[in-house]
Amino acid sequence: MSSRGGKQKKGNVTSEQEEEEQPLQAVLVADSFNRRFFPISKDQPRALLPLGNVAMIDYTLEFLTSTGVQETFVFCCWMSNKIKDHLLKSKWCRPTSPNVVHIITSDLYRSLGDVLRDVDAKNLVRNDFILVYGDVVSNIDVSQALQEHRHRRKVDKNISVMTMVFKESSPGHKTRCEEDDVIVAMDSKSKRVLHYQKTQGLKKLQFPMNIFQHGSDEFEIRHDLLDCHISICSPQVAELFTDNFDYQTRNDFVRGILVNEEILGNQIHLYVTQDGYGARVSNLQMYDSVSLDMVRRWVYPLTPEANFTDQQGQGCTHSRHNVYRGAEVSLGHGSQMEENVLIGRDTSIGANCHISNSVIGNNCTIGDNVVLDRAHMWNNVHVSSNVEIHQSVVCDGAVVKEAVRLNKQCVLAYNVVIGPNLSLPEGTVVSMHHPEEEEEDDDDEFLSDDQEVGHSKDKTRQKAFNPAEVGPEGKGYIWKASMNDTEDEELAQCLWGLVLNPDPESDSESEASEESQDRSRSVSPEIDDVNAFQLEVLGTLQRGLEENIVCDNLVLEINSLKYAYNITLKEVMQILTRVVLEYPFQQQGTQLTTLQYTGSLLPLLKTWSPVFKNYIKRAQDHLDCLSAVEELFLEQDTHQTAMVKVLMKMYQLEILEEEAILKWFSTGATNDKSRQLRKNQGVRLGQICVWGKPSQNVKGYQFGHCGSLILLLQKETTLLIFSDGVQRKQTPCSQCHKKESCGMV
Amino acid sequence: MPGADKETDLTERIEAFLADLKRGGSGTGPLRGSGEMARETTYLLRRITAQARWSSAGDLMEIIRNEGRRMTAAQPSETTVGNMVRRVLKIIREEYARSRGSSEETEQQESLHKLLTAGELSEENFRQHFVHLKANVIEAINELLTELDGTTDNIAMQALEHIHSNEVIMTVGRSRTVEAFLKDAARKRKFHVIVAECAPFCQGHEMATGLSKVGIETTVIADAAIFAVMSRVNKVIIGTQTVLANGGLRAVNGTHSVALAARHHSTPLIICAPMFKLSPQFPNEEDTFHKFVSPHEVLPFTAGEILSKVNVHCPVFDYVPPELITLFISNIGGNAPSYIYRLMSELYHPEDHKL
Repeated sequence: MSSRGGKQKKGNVTSEQEEEEQPLQAVLVADSFNRRFFPISKDQPRALLPLGNVAMIDYTLEFLTSTGVQETFVFCCWMSNKIKDHLLKSKWCRPTSPNVVHIITSDLYRSLGDVLRDVDAKNLVRNDFILVYGDVVSNIDVSQALQEHRHRRKVDKNISVMTMVFKESSPGHKTRCEEDDVIVAMDSKSKRVLHYQKTQGLKKLQFPMNIFQHGSDEFEIRHDLLDCHISICSPQVAELFTDNFDYQTRNDFVRGILVNEEILGNQIHLYVTQDGYGARVSNLQMYDSVSLDMVRRWVYPLTPEANFTDQQGQGCTHSRHNVYRGAEVSLGHGSQMEENVLIGRDTSIGANCHISNSVIGNNCTIGDNVVLDRAHMWNNVHVSSNVEIHQSVVCDGAVVKEAVRLNKQCVLAYNVVIGPNLSLPEGTVVSMHHPEEEEEDDDDEFLSDDQEVGHSKDKTRQKAFNPAEVGPEGKGYIWKASMNDTEDEELAQCLWGLVLNPDPESDSESEASEESQDRSRSVSPEIDDVNAFQLEVLGTLQRGLEENIVCDNLVLEINSLKYAYNITLKEVMQILTRVVLEYPFQQQGTQLTTLQYTGSLLPLLKTWSPVFKNYIKRAQDHLDCLSAVEELFLEQDTHQTAMVKVLMKMYQLEILEEEAILKWFSTGATNDKSRQLRKNQGVRLGQICVWGKPSQNVKGYQFGHCGSLILLLQKETTLLIFSDGVQRKQTPCSQCHKKESCGMV
Repeated sequence: MPGADKETDLTERIEAFLADLKRGGSGTGPLRGSGEMARETTYLLRRITAQARWSSAGDLMEIIRNEGRRMTAAQPSETTVGNMVRRVLKIIREEYARSRGSSEETEQQESLHKLLTAGELSEENFRQHFVHLKANVIEAINELLTELDGTTDNIAMQALEHIHSNEVIMTVGRSRTVEAFLKDAARKRKFHVIVAECAPFCQGHEMATGLSKVGIETTVIADAAIFAVMSRVNKVIIGTQTVLANGGLRAVNGTHSVALAARHHSTPLIICAPMFKLSPQFPNEEDTFHKFVSPHEVLPFTAGEILSKVNVHCPVFDYVPPELITLFISNIGGNAPSYIYRLMSELYHPEDHKL
């Protein structure tokens, strides 16, 4: 630390003298504010759950200390006493610790927002600070990001309020949490975040266009980022949380800042690192992968044998294939520790066991012929012989009796007894807490005192254990996440991540719909505006008809609407066309016959033709209008025959020019359907041009034998229109007129 | 109370040093060179001698041994720290003996008889109090520091004896000592250096830039090409992290293959190693011998899905057996590997081998 600290100090003397005199501060939130780890976190706060036999909060503190943080505020809520006791005993509270830890507890914190509002109220931070959760495991060197952040703040006069630290990792990485999966659009030069969205299984993502219209010419849209949940914040962040009392999470904050960017002028930046490791243990899936990453030394130098917490007797040795052994470990005859195994002190393992990718805590006893694969056992666990455990978590004091098999993703919470001779199905969670007791607790929404747990335990005793569930000698209840939670705003309360949700489809759908609502509400305002504009135009026209308003006034009104909703001219025209053409349906229902439709539409077109003429002036306008017409008739395919009449009327009213129609007809159709449409209309189109209103330009028309429409223009030129709308090279055709050419090759 | 203040200041410094050691080494080996590490350790030990409370040499040795144990445990791969602790312990022994008036010779001499009778007696001997002991010990430690400051220069001075004109020299990775050695020779002689890049950390690149800056003709090769290029090489000059008690090396990964290739082509293998790298450790399969760092350099974290299917390891050190080594060049001259045991007994007291 001293070397890094020294370096910083040196840099500071030259650049930011007064500011840097102050020590670097950090805010550590030692509460998750959700129940993802229930029922485990009912007995122990999440920050104290062991990861590689070390409490998670110690990793976070070590990370902060090694970055040079000199003052850390630890905010605890749920079981704050336990966290406090732990910290007071740890090396962080020794007088020699370079990082002074202040513990702040309150039962009133319900979210990250509350914590930061309290930070603001107590005026704790004076300068930029690092914001982390108590379950972040990382070895990233943040000093680079910190420097960038300070530089930006100096240059841009405090516009940048937050720098989020992300780690590059491609999709599909085991350590990427599905729930935290984000898509970020950023300015590649300034690293400014333009758009931030959690994917959460969405298949379609939408980006508001306006983010790409800002100054820079290079953008990156990235999906290869792992959110480390480490953010470098300016002191304004706390103030902003106070100002916006509805901000609960960092996600709210980021969205809020991005949406209100133009009003408040705050920006959020991104720091993407390739080295280092950073992840937040947000569910058991993540717990499993982070634990394994740690044993595989990705978090070096935070490795098990480093004993960075400096506790007596916690040391262990590291040997080949990442096998770590604590002191006084005994291993029976024929037992194998294959790879990536961490065994705590005073643990004894019987004969002929196979252990791989597992972490075993202190003081455990394991019988003979036991198979452990990706098992996470905490302290004082007793496992009898012939047991198989796959990818499961076994908490403190649990007992697994003979011949029990734990399939994937089982959880045995504190002091549970299972077996003998039982196979727990995949995803079983067994706890000493009865699930119903949880429902009762739900009424007083947040449980934050230990008393309550104690008093509910008495109740638990009265209910008998079900031997079919936990075995003849078993103790414990099958835990089911209560139904209320899934309806909550929060994510599904499944212990293991979203991926493994028992009913992934329904869940992701509900997420998706929720998400899309959210999006239309806040992130991308355009969609809303367009719809609103369309309704307004419809209303205007209706009124115009009813009250006989002059067309000029209608134009005026539409123009003002255009500005109110920030709609481009092109969109105005398209919407106008659409509204007019849909008007008969709007008034008389969709069951109109084609004849009725045209009958009611054509007079309308005549009435409103001045409105159209006002907007359709340039050649491009004509094409846009035509494409809007086409689009509508593609949707209303039963009324396709009406199209030609509409076009003819518009042509007669001089809304559309003949050349524009021909050009539209001849330009390539975008898809099969529109090609089909043109083919059907091709013949009739000729009628428009020649018979609809005798034109000066066209002498006559004829068909090429290949089905193309040949217009004979007066100026000696021949215009070829192919029925499929595709332009081909004109080649002379022997079967047609001598001088004519047709599309036949 | 100023005394207590001093003490907390001292413990703070020790803690900071320990924390530093623990975090030492991001992946590219130690954060600082071993020379710097040796100096820093010695400074700290001098501070302990000056500020800790002790009345006799025995007390002081106990304090230093305790701190030394913690320091070596903090980063077992950093043997320099332990070596310096042993050097200081030896200094205290010598100063105590001199204060008592007995000649250093008798204390030094080893015999089977002495080994058998030694033990408790020697501890008893250090209980006497001498007024000037503290000043003397600090003086001796200062001498040690001056010696440490001069090591690289002392080694570099010998360069002209070993490097001749138009020779082709091979080296591997980056060693500050070797760099100084080659640069010194380049002042008078013209020669060609081939640097093996030493993946995955590729410190070789840094070395090559450093050398080419002073006008040495430098070629960087991939590690796989070491054997192929070896036939053209006249001498292999490398650095090391530790010189082990048997004359073997614990050096950066890839050194063993260089040494084997050199043996195959009968190319002399010369090791530039200052004396403070000499450690009484033997190359047994002790768990502390190896150092595995984050596998990031081998297969980046960004590789994604594949990482859950493979095991990736990234060891830092290689063991090179003494048979492959031709010569050690240290700050006190050139020595053969077979002579290491003698240097060992000169530098450290046998009782301090295990802290």
